Amino acid sequence: MAQTIAIPGQLLGPSSKYVAGPGTHIHEANLYSSVLGTVTIAQPEKKIAPGPAKRLTKIAGLPSSSAQLPTISVSRTGISEKREVLPEVGNVVLCRVTRIQPRQATVAILVVGDTVLEAEWQGVIRPQDVRATEKDKVKIYESFRPGDIVRAQVISLGDQASYYLATASNDLGVIMATSEAGNVMYPVSWKEYRDPETGLNENRKVAKPF
Amino acid sequence: MSSTSQHLLLSPAELAYLHGSLSLITPGPIRPDGRSPTQFRPLTAETGILPGTNGSARICFADGTEAVVGVKAEVEKTPVPPYEFVASTEGRKGHSSAPKKSSRKSKKTTTEDEEISMDVDEDDEEAAGVNEKARVSPDWVELSVEIPGLRDDDSGTVFLTSMLTEALLADGEFVKKLWINRRFHWKLYLDIILISPPLSYPLPLLSLTTHLALLATRLPRLKSEADEDPMFDDDWAAATFLYPRQDTTSAKASNKSPKQPSAAAAAAPASRPPITLLVMAVGDNIIFDPSKEELAVADSAVAVSVAEGPSSETEPESESIPATSTKRNLHLLSVRTIDPPSRLTPPGVPNSVNAAAWGTMTAATPTTTTAATAPANESGAAKHPDARVTETEDVVGVWKAPRGGAKFGMLGAMVAKVLERGGVAEEVLDGLEGVDLT
Amino acid sequence: MADRRRINGPVGATTPPIFDKPAGPAAAKTRDAIRKIFLKTGITPSASGSAYLELENPNPQRPGNTSLKLSCTVHGPRSLPRSAPFSPHIILTTHVKYAPFATRQRRGYLRDSSERDLGVHLETALRGAIIADRWPKSGVDIISQKDDEGWDMMNVLSGCITVASAAIADAGIDCVDTVAGGVAALVCKDDKTAPTIVMDPVVAEHDSILAACCVAYLPTRDEITNMWFKGRLPGADMMVYDKLMEKSLVACRCANRVIVQELNETVKKGQGIS
Repeated sequence: MAQTIAIPGQLLGPSSKYVAGPGTHIHEANLYSSVLGTVTIAQPEKKIAPGPAKRLTKIAGLPSSSAQLPTISVSRTGISEKREVLPEVGNVVLCRVTRIQPRQATVAILVVGDTVLEAEWQGVIRPQDVRATEKDKVKIYESFRPGDIVRAQVISLGDQASYYLATASNDLGVIMATSEAGNVMYPVSWKEYRDPETGLNENRKVAKPF
Repeated sequence: MSSTSQHLLLSPAELAYLHGSLSLITPGPIRPDGRSPTQFRPLTAETGILPGTNGSARICFADGTEAVVGVKAEVEKTPVPPYEFVASTEGRKGHSSAPKKSSRKSKKTTTEDEEISMDVDEDDEEAAGVNEKARVSPDWVELSVEIPGLRDDDSGTVFLTSMLTEALLADGEFVKKLWINRRFHWKLYLDIILISPPLSYPLPLLSLTTHLALLATRLPRLKSEADEDPMFDDDWAAATFLYPRQDTTSAKASNKSPKQPSAAAAAAPASRPPITLLVMAVGDNIIFDPSKEELAVADSAVAVSVAEGPSSETEPESESIPATSTKRNLHLLSVRTIDPPSRLTPPGVPNSVNAAAWGTMTAATPTTTTAATAPANESGAAKHPDARVTETEDVVGVWKAPRGGAKFGMLGAMVAKVLERGGVAEEVLDGLEGVDLT
Repeated sequence: MADRRRINGPVGATTPPIFDKPAGPAAAKTRDAIRKIFLKTGITPSASGSAYLELENPNPQRPGNTSLKLSCTVHGPRSLPRSAPFSPHIILTTHVKYAPFATRQRRGYLRDSSERDLGVHLETALRGAIIADRWPKSGVDIISQKDDEGWDMMNVLSGCITVASAAIADAGIDCVDTVAGGVAALVCKDDKTAPTIVMDPVVAEHDSILAACCVAYLPTRDEITNMWFKGRLPGADMMVYDKLMEKSLVACRCANRVIVQELNETVKKGQGIS
């Protein structure tokens, strides 16, 4: 299938007909490509997720027509396997715990969405972001251990060094853990992993298995 | 990082406001300090502040930035190439491995009786047939810039240095002044020091100070003739100015020093050292001498170097007004675009995409609950790693760092505005003429 | 033992050097064309994006005359060092390097001021082209290396801009346009003849260059991101200056066509593989 090739600066169409997707930018009411890749036009889904009625009344004054327009985007898939991506607010990431302190757990972000990152980005999980309830009783060392693989969500670009991550949801948390004896453990409850050989339990913020 | 991008604490809203008021068309731009678009900040200037130099100057802007320039000259032997070799490219590395036998010449007024003679060996008389005055080298000028808080090899400092050097050397006229005879030349060291921390882009300040220092620079009068080893007059008062004065302007100086010995030089129309001006554009407005805050919203910025030369008679086709009038004869020497720091300012977020203001386009900012409960949601285009910060159209009052460059016409207009008769460059030169050159 | 106090003749038989006259400026470059450009992306596997540029050698007969060769690598976006402050934008770092063998006299690895100066020019040219706020908290290093000798600063700069533009597109960093560099110069043969404006000047072909201008240009937006003019123009009139600028814009457009063609080929190649 022959796809339309776009190079940076190529005119894609007027911004009144399309919504700017990834890999495009708007200049003087026109959409231009901003990366080298192939053009894809995604038709809007028929069913726009209706928000709560209360919310709708509040935004009634704002133009919401843009949601009906097809989204045009330029993707690099197929051009190059190497694709640098950055963690963004809202992304679900996989990361490895590198260091724990009473006030935070430091992690290295390895995967964003489905994409394995080229570079390693640092993130932190603060105690108040570990779980949604009883936040004041969270203890970092009862939730994570260095070496654990954690599924988390980016909540902020954070400070100069780290992204801020949160595991405050049922399916976020530790997904792989090794015991102190060095064995791969399996989850037994929402807050415990068990070593199959020694039979000892260790505390973790466990992600709900699918 | 270039020194243009100083840390500036202005919020996106403030930037948008400033940009809006500077790009007004009908009453013209409104600047934060109330200046007109072409008006410069007030400055105080003095020359001859360093007695140990051949020429020096100090300029202090009202905002507290201050620069000192010292010019020192040394006699140096001109390296004679083994065979005729006309250097044409300017990128050539100067291999002037001339033995620096010339004595350091700190020409103090206090040490007038100091014997000034060069202890250079009377050796090679080899290159007899070299073509006369043509061989000048840009290596004869060495310029150094020091900005506090920046390393000497910081690229911003290097950029400033090469910009000021380029202005001096662009037309090749300046180095001809340093020629003594076929075997010797002056080597000029210009040391430019910014005393205060760089509150605004220091280029105009440094350039104007250098201009004054060069105007005040005097070299000892040559006593020897032709190709002899140079001998100089001990009398500092008899020293000749590097840029000879017109009679009108030298009247004040002649109180102290006897009349210029070289009558021919004094009669020649005064040429002046180059000045480099910083010009920026916001919208369709062209603004001179921008302050740091104004530069932070600039759409583009340009440094333009001009020099005033003797009226050249080589252009009979010139459609402009004959240069016989008292108007200045300005030459464009160099133009460089400056990376405006506005490109690194934080953008504002329009209400339409701001979730906190009930924006509709929540694609980029899904609420925590929906995203967390469904990591593999099929409506996950928003959470796809390719998803970027939502691109929006320009909204009035919401700051967005400028992208792209400047239009061809705008750049031309900025340069033209500097050069035009009665324009800013003339005004600045007129202002600098009022400085007493001691 | 040879007599060291006198200069002896050579031991063996020698042939006197014969200086052949070079066969003239071969097929004198037309004034309204730039030299041919070879451009290729994706030459450095370890980098995020890379490109290689080579200029046609206008007169290959001339001894010691080689063509301009530039390579450019783009590393990143990647995380900033710990000491760097938070930035909502991508931090662009540009380096222009001469390979040690790239100049007539060998250069060490120490960078000198001309390389840093070119680096600032390149940074200005590229910063206008990339969309910096797409990549917060990250840095990108752009390293342009000059691999062969014999060219002046402005030609090197325009080559660097062109090759870096292709490398950035190859790396997938968002740009508003493909920026391209071009040079024009005001040259004169001798004092008698009137100076003429040439595009893409070959320094060795001209006796004296009065003024030159290097421009980085975004063709689709019709905007200039970097301009570097120096020299002396006759008189204060803007006519010559404007013409010089226009000519360098034409050179930019020519270079841009090469970039566009190469990028199209890059995409086609990628599709063929996948």
